Amino acid sequence: MAARLLVIGCMLCLLAGAPISAADRSLSVTIYAGDLALVQDRRDIEVKAGRQRIEFQDVSAQIRPETVSLTAADISIVEQNFDFDLLTPAKLMEKAVGQEVTIVRVNPATGAETREQAQVLATNGGVVLKIGQRIEVLRDDGLPVRVIFDKVPDNLRARPTLSVTVIGGHAGTRPATLSYLTPGLGWKADYVALYNEADSKVDVQGWVTLTNSSGVTYDNAQTLLVAGSPTQAEGGARQPAYYRVPQSRPTVQQAGTESGSRERLGDYYLYPLAERTTIANLQTKQVSFLDVHGVPAEHGYEFRNHWLGTAETPQSAKSIYAFSTSAHAGLGDQLPAGILRFYMRDKRGDPQFIGESRIDHTPMGSTLSLATGDAFDVKVRAVVDKRTRLNSTEWQSDMRYELTNALPRPVTVKLLQEGLWGDARISAESIKSTRRSAEVAEWAVMVPANGKASVTATFDTRY
Amino acid sequence: MRAASKRGATNRAASKRDATHRRVRFVILTLGLAAAGAQAATPANAVDDLAEQPSDLSVTVYRAPYRGSGSIDLNTLGGFALISETRTVHLPAGVSRLRFEGVADGIEAASAIVTGLPDGIVEKNREGKLLSPSALVAAAVGRPVTLLRTNQKTGKLTRLAGTIRADAGGGAVFETSEGIEALRCSGLPESFSFSGIGDLSAKPTLSVLVRSSEALTRTVTLSYLASGFDWAADYVATLSADGKSMELGAWVTLANGNGVGFPAAQTQVVAGRVNRESGTVEPLDAGGPILAQCWPRGSTSDPPQYLQFARALPLGADNESLLQNVVVTAMAAPAAMRFLAKKTVEQEELGDLKLYRVPDRTTVASRQSKQVRLLDRSRVPVSRVYGADLASEEDAAPAPAHLLLRTVNNAANHLGLPLPSGKVAVFAARGDAQLLLHESGMHDLAVNEELELELGDAEDVQVTAVKNEAILDPLRAPLVPLVPGALALRAAGVSEIHRVAISNALATEILFELRLRLPEGGRVVSADHPVAAKNGRPIFRLTIPANGSVTVRYQTQHTTG
Repeated sequence: MAARLLVIGCMLCLLAGAPISAADRSLSVTIYAGDLALVQDRRDIEVKAGRQRIEFQDVSAQIRPETVSLTAADISIVEQNFDFDLLTPAKLMEKAVGQEVTIVRVNPATGAETREQAQVLATNGGVVLKIGQRIEVLRDDGLPVRVIFDKVPDNLRARPTLSVTVIGGHAGTRPATLSYLTPGLGWKADYVALYNEADSKVDVQGWVTLTNSSGVTYDNAQTLLVAGSPTQAEGGARQPAYYRVPQSRPTVQQAGTESGSRERLGDYYLYPLAERTTIANLQTKQVSFLDVHGVPAEHGYEFRNHWLGTAETPQSAKSIYAFSTSAHAGLGDQLPAGILRFYMRDKRGDPQFIGESRIDHTPMGSTLSLATGDAFDVKVRAVVDKRTRLNSTEWQSDMRYELTNALPRPVTVKLLQEGLWGDARISAESIKSTRRSAEVAEWAVMVPANGKASVTATFDTRY
Repeated sequence: MRAASKRGATNRAASKRDATHRRVRFVILTLGLAAAGAQAATPANAVDDLAEQPSDLSVTVYRAPYRGSGSIDLNTLGGFALISETRTVHLPAGVSRLRFEGVADGIEAASAIVTGLPDGIVEKNREGKLLSPSALVAAAVGRPVTLLRTNQKTGKLTRLAGTIRADAGGGAVFETSEGIEALRCSGLPESFSFSGIGDLSAKPTLSVLVRSSEALTRTVTLSYLASGFDWAADYVATLSADGKSMELGAWVTLANGNGVGFPAAQTQVVAGRVNRESGTVEPLDAGGPILAQCWPRGSTSDPPQYLQFARALPLGADNESLLQNVVVTAMAAPAAMRFLAKKTVEQEELGDLKLYRVPDRTTVASRQSKQVRLLDRSRVPVSRVYGADLASEEDAAPAPAHLLLRTVNNAANHLGLPLPSGKVAVFAARGDAQLLLHESGMHDLAVNEELELELGDAEDVQVTAVKNEAILDPLRAPLVPLVPGALALRAAGVSEIHRVAISNALATEILFELRLRLPEGGRVVSADHPVAAKNGRPIFRLTIPANGSVTVRYQTQHTTG
């Protein structure tokens, strides 16, 4: 009974506004990079002595109820419930089965109202009512009939609600902390890189981007961002590996070995927001964390050919920008995973977008090599000139790579032949290759301005 | 503790090392300290401040990165645009929430950049809730509203104070002094009247929380990427009467599927493929009607009926209205348009991309496609090349040859400019009229590349292929070890003789290219016509006399097993 009174009391205070004002409530939100957040909600709660139910309506709609914990002095928790049976007209009628409602008939000719008491018998497909001794189907004749319910059933709510049944030791107000994990809150980094072609330097700004689709607004929350995604057991919000897009080309050329000045927790870097902020539902919020000017960058071209890849029409080489995250001649920071957008000024000096690339969590001191897109004027045609069967097990493959450059300046293209598996031997080649790994051979090919270059190579393979 | 102090020491060393070079900081932190003395203002009580409407606009449209060379699809515009708006802002002293109203609906909030503000951006926000009937109800849950009910007979309007109790699942449940009721389930005209719109914005809005030590007026630039745009190059090639040259003209067709227009904008399009990553989709609730889902409403006379309610479509998915408002200029009317288009776009280099600038400011209206002249070139010499591409293992019944127009993209051929990918329609003149011959796609073509335009099948040139004989030659074949050192099976060398007949029913002599696809490791060992190689495959370059035919015989060798 006491619990019932408390529920009704709480509902009434909800009707009047927020149950607990922002002043005596302190929210802190820790957001991990992989769509997961830890919400800690400190507030003063009114506890009576004995068994009672405490409701929290303003929790995330995507709350993982199994991770909820409520701590306060001198209470013991009996059970926790997360109710997501929401109040809709259909549910309202369904829960009224067997109960009395008031129906108001409106006479279409006169506009006069007639009130009657009715009992709801069933709601399967249509609503069947018992009025006195008559059985009727609600609005069977299509004429207007209002249905008035006395009350909202206890367990139907406007918003998903967390309720905790506790036994209080002594009555009184005490501070309590409610904490839980929820998906629907996430963050990533977004970088803006402005490349200056004249002096080959890049200006980089970094922003953390928070998104909230958890269904609730976190008012005035102390926010901490964690660069890293803790492993979650199955059933968590983390995407399975096969949903993640495979990295087609590695972006980190050389992993860094420098330590940054950022705060750390275990092996994760922490990015605390210095001011409390309100993270509204469905809001995208950005806060700056990096602003570096004049970092030397290299612009190059890269073309990857898969094993026995042959093309009738020339294919564009990828346009590559490389720079360092080192403290010396680099960005001087570790970079949380995100998307780096490249801009370049056009002839009028306006920045224009030239492509973007995803980066992983990158330690300080790394060398990044990012592809922004296809080069219009630098193309490669890879051709299998000849496949010869040397004997029953060995094949000889003559490859020819024709590189063209329609730019008015010479370029160097990094030409990569993949799929060598380790077994393939290069028995002849027109320029010297370096074997980056058993799998890949690499040539650095200079292509003159408005000119052509050609590379031939003979691969000996088994099978 | 020791770890912390050690880290501190590292920090100091690091900051000393690169102090001249890098400026890395949390904006908030710096500002928080700077502002602490001057103002007590916190983000929570920021003043709302509306930026003026844009005084200058620039729209750069990028094509859908993975669309082929065809035309744009107005229903699903897969490209995007970089939009830059110059606006004047009047900032009060203290913390203010600077609102930029009327940004494109397809804004990718994470890409937004604001330049020109005093060094004090605390945070940037894009609100996902737009002002809509459903958002109004959602915002009013638990708050007092007025229920309006009209008596259909007398027309009398009843106003009743009440509270919305829930809006879950598309239905609205409200409470008045009479009791609990559900909206529009009675069959009576019912509606809510709200006292205010709360903090919902009518248009997609980006806001910046900014802290300024004094009141000031600034000109700022807001740049962002927005989806719902696309562009394509549409080429029209018109063959001359003798078929030996063509005129090549092209339009840039660009389209904006957003609900926001960009008046008098500097407009550019960018050719080339840029890398796009599918970032996290930023949540946006575009709103929808009040659905007023009720309890089951079946009656005794009707079979059970399930009510279908209109679903709120995401922005830009409203195909019907998009189609109705689209203004498309017919592209297949080259002759009439040729002299209308005096101005063409100006091309410049943008890194490894090509930027085309529309010479005059133009209005990129909402839900509109527009066309600007890309190029006009005439007297481009072309050679007509007939051809066939045959797999040598199979016989081929008489089939028409395919026809290509070939030229090289250089100055000698009155071209020599980058040609962005697009659809090419080839026309031929018949008296004063133009006849469409064929449509095909073209990929991005740099200067000095070979340009090939497909013209489809040529029924007058037929190709027949026949395998004359095949000889299995086990003696010549190498041994294949099945299990090393134990058993061996002889693989067989195969030698085949093929015959290809090409007949020409045209009254002119034609050039013909016969290309072969051989089995792996195969080669042509002898032939009665000269054989060359193109891209690693054998090719016969032939001349077929007028109303005549040519038969090519060749012998191949490869190994099976």
